[in-house]
Amino acid sequence: MTHIVQQKKLYSAGCRLLSFCALCLAINLPSIAQTTDDDLPLLDLDSPIRMNFSGSWEKDFARSDNWEDELSRRMQIRQENAALQASGVGLGNGPSISLGNINLNRPRRRQANLVNLARLAEYINRNSTMEIFQDRNEIRIERRGEAPLVCSMETGPNETFSSQHGAEICGWDRNQLVFEMALPDGLYIIHRFSVTSDSQMLQMITSISSNGSVPFNLVQSYNKYQAPPDEYNCIQTITRGRVCSQRTPLN
Amino acid sequence: MSLISIIRYVILIASAIGLAACLQTPPPQPAPPPIPTVGEVDLNTATSDPQEYLLLDIGVEVFEVEISEQEALEFGEWIFTEIRENEAHYLPYILRNTLLASNQWGAARVLPTRDPSMDLTIQGTVLSSDGQRLIIWIEALDSTGRVWLQKEYADESLTDDYPISTRYTPGSPFDASKFIEPFQDIYDQINNDLVQVRQTLSIEDLIDIKRVSELVYASDLSPESFAHNLSKDENGRMSILTLPAEDDPQMRRVEEMRLRHHLFIDTVDQYYESLYEEMQAPYVVWRKYSYDQIEEETNAEDEAYDFSNYGRSRGFLTLTQRYDRYRWSKIFEMEYRDLSVGFNNEIAPEILQLNEQVHGLNGTMEEQYIQWRRILRQLFALEAEIPN
Repeated sequence: MTHIVQQKKLYSAGCRLLSFCALCLAINLPSIAQTTDDDLPLLDLDSPIRMNFSGSWEKDFARSDNWEDELSRRMQIRQENAALQASGVGLGNGPSISLGNINLNRPRRRQANLVNLARLAEYINRNSTMEIFQDRNEIRIERRGEAPLVCSMETGPNETFSSQHGAEICGWDRNQLVFEMALPDGLYIIHRFSVTSDSQMLQMITSISSNGSVPFNLVQSYNKYQAPPDEYNCIQTITRGRVCSQRTPLN
Repeated sequence: MSLISIIRYVILIASAIGLAACLQTPPPQPAPPPIPTVGEVDLNTATSDPQEYLLLDIGVEVFEVEISEQEALEFGEWIFTEIRENEAHYLPYILRNTLLASNQWGAARVLPTRDPSMDLTIQGTVLSSDGQRLIIWIEALDSTGRVWLQKEYADESLTDDYPISTRYTPGSPFDASKFIEPFQDIYDQINNDLVQVRQTLSIEDLIDIKRVSELVYASDLSPESFAHNLSKDENGRMSILTLPAEDDPQMRRVEEMRLRHHLFIDTVDQYYESLYEEMQAPYVVWRKYSYDQIEEETNAEDEAYDFSNYGRSRGFLTLTQRYDRYRWSKIFEMEYRDLSVGFNNEIAPEILQLNEQVHGLNGTMEEQYIQWRRILRQLFALEAEIPN
């Protein structure tokens, strides 16, 4: 018992000492800052602080949705809702679903059906790896065979691309990075990226809807992996293409 | 969820809905205002050496760049702003070459900022520049403050201006000697307009311009000694009140200083020449890519948006086809952006070199130039024993 009391006293004295040191540090901070201001990095407080998405990412199939399973789950929910509706339980303003799966998924207002949306989600997310580059100004997500997703670090929304084949905006929703693509004829794709605080796991949710239909969501999880170090420093030039030089190892 | 994040989310969704609405019913594109292009211009060249009083020394300042509000809002605009800033060093050199090629003028130099020793100063602002069109605002003032030109010049390039040989490949490298500047007509027109203004001036006016520039330079070196020789009216026009004696020793020193100064600005001009030569090939290739990109966009805009191009089906193949068209159009656009970054990457060492050229001076070329003028002033004060 005495031992515990002594420990508490020691702990309390330690805390007081630490508090004192912190106070001294706070008082002397301006003078310290003055003397060592050359060594201190300047904080850019105007730019928002974002989660670190950068690195090489590979899909974790165990934690990712399988599109067929997700589709089955969605269909099952619909069937259950249809059954509930048939038994007279109100479903509020939900979509009208007829009995016996007849016209269960009939598109209204020229919507694509859920199966096709699910297959498209799988097609868009066919890559199992991605590379993310991030600095204070922008984030760039590269997947093989896909146009890079590039967004500024500002909250947004920013229009990043627009053509007759579709338009894209991006922005930050708290710690999540969101890309929204509007394609002709009401096809609408959203990618939502989030990362764990230790930057080791990443989640990408793809939502696809057609003419305001209930979206099909596909959750894909990724783990960070150590890509082999790049031996070359490469920059894009206009007359010589990609110019690379061998990276000098830092000793 | 905090109120701020709800607002953010609402803005994001509203923008997306807006975008989607835009895609469904594209608004009619407002027709761009007609650009009064200079057309085909022949350079007014002097066949014989002009009289001494006609040979005005011309300083072409590095151009300014004007970014429109719409351009500033575009995503990735910083890439294109950097290109515009780089070409602001390049385009004046074409004008300088054109003025020299016309054989109508004295020395013509590219300068980082206004120089008091010049008879005629040309300032330009790049209002719009891509591979397809160039619009520049030109202002030319002589040493007395007389306005020679205040005019917007525009020109458009044609596909023929970018021959296949423009595409730089290891097998057929860019040949500067065979390349004809696509917007050469603009520079020829500027030269011709300047010649036209000069023709309206009397011999006395032209001699006066040269005398004023001498005294302006002298006054810049030592205002205490020479400022009283000049007067300035309310319109900013300079005139000579009194001329220093021909054997004035201070004026002789000014002449010596002016010679040294001209040696310095000749060197500065050489640095711009070096930058021009290094920049020419990547700049021309970039403009060719830019031209192709604009042509593609224009062709796409000309095609009426037709849903039948996409099919009315909502089948999987139709959806993937729709997504793939979007994907490829974006890949194409991103590659163009990467090439533009590539142009800036390639030019960056040259710009750095330009700014590091003058040993003992530091900062950008403009800052070094100001330092040099300050040194000359101090030197003059020391020689003339005039207290600072």
